[in-house]
Amino acid sequence: MARDFSDGADGVDSGSGDSEESTETASSPSRERGRTVRNTVERRAIVGFAVATIALLLGIFYYPVATVFIDSVLVDGRWTGRVFASILRDPFYLGEPARLLVGEPVGAVIESIRSPDRRLGVIGFTAYQAALSTVASVALGLPAAYLLARYEFPGRRTLRSLTILPFVLPSIMVGVGFVATFGRNGTLNAVLGALGLGQVNLLFTLEAVVIAHAFYNAPLVARVTTAAWESVDASAVETARSLGASPFRAFRDVVAPQLYPSVLMGAALTFVFTFSTFPIVLALGGFQLATVEVFVYRLIRDLEYAEAAALALIELGISLGLLYAYLRYEAKHTVRSRGIRPLPRRPLTPPSFSVRELLPRLGLTVYAVVALAVFVAPIASMILASLSGPEGLTLANYRFLVDRQTTGASFQVQPWDAVRNSLLFGVASLAVALPMGVVVAVLTTRDYRGRKLIDAVAMAPLAVSGIVVGLGLLRGLVFGVEVGGSRIAVGGGLAIIAAHAVAGYPFVVRTVAPGLEGIDHTLVESARALGAPRARALVDIELPLVWPAVIAGAAFAFAISIGEFSATIVLASGTNQFTMPIAIERFIGRRLGPATAMGVVLLVVTSASFLLIDRLGGDDVGF
Amino acid sequence: MTTLGSKEPPPDGADSDHAAPTAVELAGVTRRYGETTAVDDLSLSVREGEFFTLVGPSGCGKTTTLRLIAGFEEPTQGEVRFNGESVTGVPPEDRDVGVVFQNYALFPHMTVGENVAYGLSFTDPPGGGSDEERVRELLELVALGDMMDRDPDTLSGGQQQRVAMARALAPGPDVLLLDEPMSALDAKLRERLRVQVREIQQELGITTIYVTHDQEEALAVSDRVAVMRDGTPEQVAPPRTIYREPATEFVATFVGDNNVLSGEVTAVRSTDRVDDSSDESGRSIADVTVDSTTLSVALDGDSGPEAAVSAGDRLTFCVRPERLTLGADRNALTATVTSAEFLGETTRVHLDWEGRELLLRAEDPPTGTVTVGFDPADAHTVDRQ
Repeated sequence: MARDFSDGADGVDSGSGDSEESTETASSPSRERGRTVRNTVERRAIVGFAVATIALLLGIFYYPVATVFIDSVLVDGRWTGRVFASILRDPFYLGEPARLLVGEPVGAVIESIRSPDRRLGVIGFTAYQAALSTVASVALGLPAAYLLARYEFPGRRTLRSLTILPFVLPSIMVGVGFVATFGRNGTLNAVLGALGLGQVNLLFTLEAVVIAHAFYNAPLVARVTTAAWESVDASAVETARSLGASPFRAFRDVVAPQLYPSVLMGAALTFVFTFSTFPIVLALGGFQLATVEVFVYRLIRDLEYAEAAALALIELGISLGLLYAYLRYEAKHTVRSRGIRPLPRRPLTPPSFSVRELLPRLGLTVYAVVALAVFVAPIASMILASLSGPEGLTLANYRFLVDRQTTGASFQVQPWDAVRNSLLFGVASLAVALPMGVVVAVLTTRDYRGRKLIDAVAMAPLAVSGIVVGLGLLRGLVFGVEVGGSRIAVGGGLAIIAAHAVAGYPFVVRTVAPGLEGIDHTLVESARALGAPRARALVDIELPLVWPAVIAGAAFAFAISIGEFSATIVLASGTNQFTMPIAIERFIGRRLGPATAMGVVLLVVTSASFLLIDRLGGDDVGF
Repeated sequence: MTTLGSKEPPPDGADSDHAAPTAVELAGVTRRYGETTAVDDLSLSVREGEFFTLVGPSGCGKTTTLRLIAGFEEPTQGEVRFNGESVTGVPPEDRDVGVVFQNYALFPHMTVGENVAYGLSFTDPPGGGSDEERVRELLELVALGDMMDRDPDTLSGGQQQRVAMARALAPGPDVLLLDEPMSALDAKLRERLRVQVREIQQELGITTIYVTHDQEEALAVSDRVAVMRDGTPEQVAPPRTIYREPATEFVATFVGDNNVLSGEVTAVRSTDRVDDSSDESGRSIADVTVDSTTLSVALDGDSGPEAAVSAGDRLTFCVRPERLTLGADRNALTATVTSAEFLGETTRVHLDWEGRELLLRAEDPPTGTVTVGFDPADAHTVDRQ
């Protein structure tokens, strides 16, 4: 039974090279040949997919982003740091500290920073609003974590699942919801009017932006903190109590230290997210509250590409620096103690009417009112506004969406085209993002040299803002590449699909990778010992076992595509490739009705995605 | 001979072992993970049709050795050979091995039948029948003929283990690799299954490499046993030799209970007296002083630590607890009973002899102070310095 191993090692099937076995088994030569070809393909499949995925990633992410980089340092054919220098020296961007870089005395700068009419600059303001948003998100998220981790009530599980919803809700839709709530004709003013109070206009104020950011990020804070709280071992608290600690001391000394890292994680992510915020500020703040990202967009619109690129890179540097600092901290401080016995949950109805029982529940009641106003009101207001017209309830706004408009100039947004484009781009980008994400998940859950590098390379798109990706695709692919004398240009629609795929595939990775990681390696080894090449083991064993996570990842990617705004608005400008979020942005100032109707359509699509994610892989999502 | 296997079983008798060609060979294999060395310059050869067992405490490198043979790991140094040919770089799917893991690793999304049939997607069933016939044949072999359509997780642990066996055997592998396939089962079932595994191995005549930490299991089923420690084999021999003539102190104490004593050789005598007990005739006897007691130890080997023993050497020898006899006058030791464990057929008695612990097997455990002794021929030398 000598096997021709050298044959097998070359990647050609070994089963056919053995004459002794061939005579023993009564298989036809054609069947053998077919098997040989198939095995050769299967052997090379993983490497092939990996190479294809990395090539695609280079083509639709790294190359375009690199062109942005080059745009900022290569002006008129000459390498220069001038653009960066001028941004960093301009108080308009960096505020008072910029004066340090042009050589003004430190004392004078500090003096003006301390004076009331100091200038923050665009970057300073962006950090300031991010800090405020972080405080608001933590303040709003922690009571929710307390409620979810420590109380038992009907609907608790559902509420806990809902904390993942913001990941898939399009931010421009949230913007519409806030306009419908806080706008001049919004729900808030209607309520105030009914109560005989004066009107307020929160739109285009910092407050509205911060509340909208809290809507987005407080659930994230709540989610990570709840998870940490649920993993506190009750016996640790009981030990502290038996050693003489009061309930408060036990909380302070045992529970709280296990929560800090998660609260900090929520806060750090919130800061990074809100630092690079774009659609919400565009919808609720306008250019008078411009953050860096909004300003980058404005520069792109004004065709100031070099300055836009430099500014985007400075922002990216700050975001990555913050993330890196946080990850360094996390690596040092995370204690993962899975509580064998979690802290018991209390009923929401007080068992007795003592102060100790009533006080926290009273606090939660107050919180519930605030949470209702922040989380529920925008969505409810949007739905309400979409159904109302001048003469009460109407479906006119929805009819407007499906009407093929014959009137209007070609540059006007055609609502039905937007709906159709969104679905088309969603499906097309899913077709790219899903295989990419699965391949990356496979690559990052296997052991080999250089795995960390692949992981970092594949996850970088999460950190790069959509504006930069959009700009890169615009400059690098849509405007065309010179290859061997001929110009290769990619259509706007394809570029949008690429941008959406880049935005979506990390979510596929994040849902599929934990599943693959959890598969017992002996299953794969058994399959291989039975004769399955590595790729076959993946298809036959691993993927069937993680398919719920694959579906959840697909739902994620689809939802991300449907809601994507930043890259799309850069790529869709001046074309007819509008998507629903872009249409909403165009409608928001002038026609709130269609904007809210479109917002509701987005809500339905993304909520359906959310349901899939929650049913099939919610707890495994690596966030 | 059924159609199940593709090889002739080895002819009966121990002599055949020497005649059978080498199926699997490890030549100077070392496997390092960073700083730690799991397998250290290991050389072994497993003969065709042999039931070969790797036994040792956890961390001794036995599972790594099996994974190197299966191709899940590659050696850092050295070479694994199948039928004399190097398999370096040959992926597991091309090695023609069947593997059964400790947790069975049944594919949870497939039925029992689909599990067994899986390997047949990559090769034709040996014997020329259809895939389905082969699956049926294998399930009948492991007495699970009616479980074809069941989900693996509806089976008991023992049944799952047998499905895993059937699955590994279905494509007709050259070598069967078993990685602690019994350790998740309860003791009674383990004993029954190991007999079954041995019977199937005998029926198919398949070269089998078995990894276990259970020395009793190793002795019970194997043709030959390699006792491993720190990544190298201490001794490779048939079970009886391992038990009766352990090569090292580690083997002596790892396999079964043992009493290990060491002392200085004061004299070496030749016993050619015909009237002496037959056990000792023609052998050398060493007088070994342990503390202040002189004991007689038969030197029955002309190689290893027993060869050329002379006065002044330090000798380490062992005597099995069942070879210590109460009230014997040869090599008599006066000891105190400290405790006794009732094991059913016998009792393991712990004795204190001048500050050393001795073990004794007895049917009726004594108490108080006792005299135990042993025949010099029952002492086996494991080390000489």
